[in-house]
Formats: sequence, structure tokens, C-alpha cells
Amino acid sequence: MIYKVISKKEFTGFVDALVHSNRSFGPKQVATDHRGNAVYQFQPVHSVADIAFDYSATASSAKHFFLPFREELSHFHFHGNDWEQQISYEANPVVLIGLRACDISALNILDDVLLNGHFPSPGYLARRKNSFVIGMDHLPLPDCFCKSMNHHTVTTGFNLFCSDIGDHYYLSINSSKAFNFLREFETREPNYDDNCMLVERRKLIQNGFQTDIDVTALPTILDIEFDSPVWEKWGDKCLNCGTCAMVCPSCYCYSLTESFDTNLNGASREKKLYSCNLVDFAVVAGGHNFRPKNGDRLKYRYYHQHRGFAENASQQICVGCNRCGRACLAGINPKDVINDLRMEKESCMTCVSSSPRKI
Amino acid sequence: MHDLRFVIPPQDINREDFASSVPDFNRRSEIMRTDFGYKCMVSNIVRLTEQEKLFQLRIIDPVERALFRFKPGQFLMLEVPGYGDVPISISSSSSNHEFLELCIRKVGHVTSALFSIKEGARVAIRGPFGSAFPMDEMAGHNILLIAGGLGIAPLRAPLYWLNEHRDRFLDVHLLYGAKEPSQLLFTWQFDEWKMINHINLHTIVERADPQWLGKKGMITDLFNDITIATATTYAIVCGPPVMFKIVCSWLDRLGIPMNRMFVSLERRMHCGMGKCCRCMVGSTFTCIDGPVFDYWSVMNLKEAI
Amino acid sequence: MEKTMTHKGVPFERLKIASFDFTCCEGCQLQLANCESSLPDFLGLLDVRNFREISSERYDDYDIALIEGSISRQDEVERLLKIRKQAKILVAYGTCACFGGVNSLKNRHPVEELIDEVYPGMAIETLPVRKISDLVEVDLFIPGCPVDKREVERIVVSLVKGSLVTLPKYPVCVECKAQLTTCLFELGEICLGPVTRAGCNAVCTSGKTPCLGCRGPAEEINMAAFLALVKERGLSLDDLHEKLAFYNAFEPFLNHEA
Repeated sequence: MIYKVISKKEFTGFVDALVHSNRSFGPKQVATDHRGNAVYQFQPVHSVADIAFDYSATASSAKHFFLPFREELSHFHFHGNDWEQQISYEANPVVLIGLRACDISALNILDDVLLNGHFPSPGYLARRKNSFVIGMDHLPLPDCFCKSMNHHTVTTGFNLFCSDIGDHYYLSINSSKAFNFLREFETREPNYDDNCMLVERRKLIQNGFQTDIDVTALPTILDIEFDSPVWEKWGDKCLNCGTCAMVCPSCYCYSLTESFDTNLNGASREKKLYSCNLVDFAVVAGGHNFRPKNGDRLKYRYYHQHRGFAENASQQICVGCNRCGRACLAGINPKDVINDLRMEKESCMTCVSSSPRKI
Repeated sequence: MHDLRFVIPPQDINREDFASSVPDFNRRSEIMRTDFGYKCMVSNIVRLTEQEKLFQLRIIDPVERALFRFKPGQFLMLEVPGYGDVPISISSSSSNHEFLELCIRKVGHVTSALFSIKEGARVAIRGPFGSAFPMDEMAGHNILLIAGGLGIAPLRAPLYWLNEHRDRFLDVHLLYGAKEPSQLLFTWQFDEWKMINHINLHTIVERADPQWLGKKGMITDLFNDITIATATTYAIVCGPPVMFKIVCSWLDRLGIPMNRMFVSLERRMHCGMGKCCRCMVGSTFTCIDGPVFDYWSVMNLKEAI
Repeated sequence: MEKTMTHKGVPFERLKIASFDFTCCEGCQLQLANCESSLPDFLGLLDVRNFREISSERYDDYDIALIEGSISRQDEVERLLKIRKQAKILVAYGTCACFGGVNSLKNRHPVEELIDEVYPGMAIETLPVRKISDLVEVDLFIPGCPVDKREVERIVVSLVKGSLVTLPKYPVCVECKAQLTTCLFELGEICLGPVTRAGCNAVCTSGKTPCLGCRGPAEEINMAAFLALVKERGLSLDDLHEKLAFYNAFEPFLNHEA
């Protein structure tokens, strides 16, 4: 990693040049909600003026640039009894501007799953490497809990990360590509004051969190509370709509479908991002559903997010961005569900400790 | 005007500096295999029952065929282009490099499509995927195989292994139960298993017909027929989900250590590679951590059996 | 054209299909002629035996009958029963056939009032609007107002190839979120997306129009939770009721309201 400092004006020029040379996406206001708050999404940007640098958080994550909601994995061309299978691993380069630390952490988690697992995914790799990710720090929103998940800072997974230190950005340069691009712009080595300001900025962010979720021993608690009534309680609210998984930066479960072309000369295998909350997620051939109840499915989402991974790659996949909580119409959010579970546990503890005396 | 364009063509992807982790892309050939699959010719189809057929597949490319290896217990993703793919456990011998045998029950739309194809048709296989029965670790022990219904299919590969390396194992028992006599699979091999391979085969059916001379009842009724030295026994259990619990807890009571009991689980899979999460059970993927699990691992997994 | 075509060396029969319209706007049938680029291929799968809008030739030896529209007259009932006898696969084609559709608005008013309003002074014989499954057994539902041509194509191909014919079981939200649409509830509106079957590619909501549920309820929807959230947000229950009743698709759930 190389650290530099750039003035905001020069930075604007740099981003503008980058945006003009490449297909780029950045935060843009797309609507105003009924409370009067701006709604942001990562949208195509054509000049630096399009980018809302001071945005709060996007409603949907940047996941779909790497894992499209829908993609054709391969195409079969039939010739008589035989066929030819066509798979494209090409990816169009893309510049992503303004990702939060938690968003980049989520990409790192996806890297772990999709690149470092048993079977690396070449399509994902091509997209990941053909991306230029510029991260930006921000002051936490009242419901952000990435600090609890230890994802409020990020040290890898981006090309360039910008910390706001007044009229300059403190740049963490994490790739030769970013370094080379920046050669054409005026930057300087950070001085003592810059470093102080960076530390101040970090502290400000660190202390700005209003939501804290106690995730200590959460994997164990989830195991113990497998049959907890908490799941049914929240499951009763769940609409099975899959919104949480769609906006999540780290949910990657999917569904494969294969269909013939209308001319019957070919067929395509299509991948769709799916959600464990959708009713038929665990249906097997023959129709048996391993998870017939709302609560079962919701539980599995929490298992995957907060426990499941613990045994596979020793990390939880939730990064604490609370997009699912914000997007859920039914008001299901990680903070309340997890706190509910923990309360369960504490009340049990009380009865365990008091019972011997009663006997 | 600055020009900050970039494109990283596939051949340079490994060299490109990368934000996060460094994937091992020497495995590229493997990746191609998991995406493309081996093209196979369906060389023989045997109808076993109304619902089950045995498909013999021959990998078309002679080099691929010679190099294809799998371990008993592993499964394949069988692809019928246009219809989709399904996970199927391999039922043939792992030393058979000529063809693979898959015992398939008609349950979903892909298997229905399979049932309508004829010999000579082409399909593709991806894999092999998943964990295997630890045959080497089992050597020198008594083996108890327990199969219910179609559960005999994943057991046939380890059974072949036992037969081929019969001198490495002590007593081998196969308990095999089915709904009715006509549902018993691979009956033509029974004599071979008993006479040549010295396998103690015990069969039982729930509903007998007049021709049936054997035992009638549930698979658990066979337990009293056999005596096994639990300290030196490995067990493999395969069958419908309800069977696992009953059989495994019986074996547990007998005193067979949980880590010497193996089960093979089934779930819906879309990828077979630990990516789609459809087959997740608790914190494990049936496709990469399984399908073969020791009983200790699955009894810990909620919802597993 | 010859009757049998082959694919991968295996002959396949073109689907002997007929299309009939009842009380409807015929918009769904027009969809059959949509998607021009794949239209020749699509028609290549079909042996159209009876289809007023495409051909003047009429034959009664069809296997598959597409029924568009709801049933609102006695002669329609008889015609439908006759089609059912002939068809091996009877398809409820479009929202009107599947659920009754917009036509069901009629059922809210007394018949005399309606006749007075539309055909004053004329002798009109009319019945309350019914969906076709109220009268005959339906083999396949293709909902939508109008139906989605790509879905129709996919289903026809599946019928030809004998592969699985399915509709998405999940709600519109999945497709809506994939388009990065701002949730209509966030904009203070009631949208039936969370309870409506997907497959439309969220065409209304991505145009900022709330979903009215033309594709009917998704599978195992949680209507109680949906009502609760509408109330919690202080949105108009009348508006909700109006939307749920619009296509008559949520009829089984309407008594839920407390």
C-alpha cells in the first residue's frame, strides 16, 4: 500500500478523467422517499458532476457488478446428436466510485467464497479484475452496525481508498493501476498534519456508531437457539419476498435454470441470484420442501449470514451495512433479531442458575 | 486529455494486480471441467423397476475417459442439455475406466427427460464432486452396509471396492431392505456378491408377494440376524431420511463409534461446487463437505437427518 | 407445412393449438404476435388449428386450447365446456381467464344497474363474471395483464420438449430489486409486489407504477404480515382493498381484513 494526499479539486479532475475513459458507476440520487430523504443507487455516471460524493448509502449494494442478478452461464448449440457449449469469461471493464468500507469488505468475502474455495469462479474473477474500485469512508448512519462486525475499515479489496481530511483526500493506493493513473495528477506525500487528520477522521467514524450488535459467540448462540420461538416470531412477519438477499452486498446464493431456445437449435443455462427466504429454495426433486415454514427460511438466512460461514471460512458474511434492515418492509432487521435471540439466552441463563437452589 | 482506459484480457488476468486475494489459477483446467463437463454417450440403459433405470455412460474422448477418476461415494452433476443437471451418485466401480453406471429414479423433470432418451444419445457429466467413503481407513475392519430402497445406488461403488479388495476386509454384511420384492435392485448380482465375494447379504421387504421366500418386515428387523464385533466395525448407511435416524441410533446403541458410521445425504443442488448454497445443511454444504458424512458430523447438523 | 419436425434427430409434434376469446380485450392473444424476432421460430412450434386473429381456417382437432377472458354469459359457459371436452391441455391464458380480471368489477353492482347504465332499455342476458376454473378444470395457468410473450414462448417450448413448465413461485420484489427500483412503499404508495407472483420482470414498478397484482398471488404468501405492514405505515386500507380487488386475483385473501 502506498499513501498519498490529493486536493479535492485535483481528485475531481482525476475522477473525471477516469469516468470519461471508462464505463463508470457511482452513487446518484434516484428518488426522494416519503420522509423526504434522498434514495441513492449506484448508477452510470458520465462526468464527475454526476456523482453524489456526499451520499449516505445506496439502497442496493454494488454486488451486482460482479454477480449480476441474472446472467447466462453457457449456451448450447445443437448439431444433430451433438452440441457445442459456449461459455464467455470476458468482462467489460468497469469503474466503481464511492464504495463504502463495508461494501468493499463484502467483495472480499465474495472473493473468499468464489475464488478461494474448492472451485474458483472464472466469470467472477474476470469481472473482479476488470474493475477499478474507489472506496470512500463516511460517517456512519444511525443504523449502520459494521463496526460490530469489524467491517468499518478495510485494508484490501480496492484499488484506491479515499479518506476525507478536510480539503484533501488521504489516499490509500492498493494497485499499480491506480498508482499509474495517479502519476498524471498532482499528489503529495502525506505530512505529519495529514496523518493527524487521518487519525482524527478515523476516530470520528469509529465514535460515530449509534448501533451496536453484540455478536460475541453468536455462532454458538445460533446453534443453541435453533428451535427458539424467536424464529417463528420473526418468520410470521416475513413476506418471503427475497428483498433482503437482493440488496445484500454479500448474499450470493443462486438458482440455475436451463431452457431451450425458441428455435430449438440451442439452449441456455441461466443463473439467477436467489434468496433463502423464497419459498422453494430448499425444495428437492419430487416436491419435498426441507424448509416449509417462513421461520425456517429466515433462520437459514441468519445462519448463513452470522454462523454458516464460521465453519467454512471462519468468518461471518454479514458486513453490517443494514441494507436488508432498511429495505425490509416487514421491519425485520439483524439488530432486533439478534438482540431477541440473545435475550432468549439470557433469560435461560437466569433460570439455569437459579434452579439448583429451588430443588 | 488524460487517457485512463483499461481492459484486462483473460490471458492476463493472473498477472493483473488484484485488490484482494490471490486465487490459484493454475487450476484453470479444472475450472473448465467444472463448467463444461465431459461429453458422454449413453451406451446402455437397463430398466430396473418402473421408476428406476441404470444408465451406462461412456466418456466420448478416449483421453478424458482414461484419465477420469472418482472415489466411491462421490457424485456427478449429470447434464441433459436444455433440461438441466441433477446430482447423481456413481454406482459403478471406481476401477472401471471404461464406463460409469448411474442408477436413476424418475422424480423430477431432468430425470424424466433422461428416461425418454435412447441408447446412443449424448449427455454431459461434471465432476466428480463431493466427499467419499474412507475405504483405505476401513481396511482391516468388519464392514456393515445398510441400504434402504434406492440407497443401494450410492452403496454399489463402495461394494465394488470391497469386492475388488476383499482380502483387506474382515466380515462384510449387507442389509438391504425395499418396499416389495420387485423394488429390489441389482438382484442379478446377489449370487455373485454372496458366492464369489463372500458378502453376507440379508434382504427384507415390507410387502411380500407369493413368490417371495425371504424375510418380511422393516430393515430394522434384520438387526437381530447379524452379530458384529462393534469394536472393529465400520458402517455405511444409505436410504430415505427416516431410515438414517433409526438405523444410526441402533448402531450407536450397539457401540459402533459415531465417526465410524457413514451416511450419504441428498439435497437439491444447482452447482455441485459449493456456490449456490441450495444444498446447505446447517453450516455445511452437501456438495463439498458431503454427500458422505460421518454420523458425528450430521447428528450435529440441525435438519440434516 | 409438414406436421412433424425433428430436433436432435428426434421427431417432435408441433403443438396443435387453438385460441379462443371470451369476455376480454383480446390483448393477450395479440401478445402471441409480439416479439417479432422470434415469431417465425415460435410459430414453427405450433400447428394453429383455430385462431380467429391469425387465420380464417377453423379446425376442431386441437390438443391445446388457450382460453382468454372470463365467463359472463350462458353461451360462453356452453362454449367453454365444449372446448374442455376436446382439449387435452386447457390453458387459462391471461389474468381474466385465471382470476376474472378487470371484468370482475362488474360483480360489485346489481346486474340491472349495469344494464341500465350501459345498454339502457335493451334486453341483455348477462351473468356475474367468473374465472374459467370456476367452470372447468384448468391444466395450466399463464397469468398476466397482458401475458408476457417471453413467458408464453418459454412455456410453449417446454410443452414441445416435454420439460418442466413452471411459473416463478416468488414475488415481484425479487425482480424489482434486480432493477434497482426504489420501493414504492418508500415513496408512500401501496404496491402489491410483495405478494404478487413474479415473471413480469417488474415492468410496472420499474416505471414507478404500483403493482396491482395482475399475475395473482405468489406461492404461500404472508397476507397477514402484508396487511399489518400497510396498517403500520398508516397507508389507506381502502386503497389496499381497491388494489387487491382490481383483478379479482386476491379474492381468497380478501376476507383476511380485520
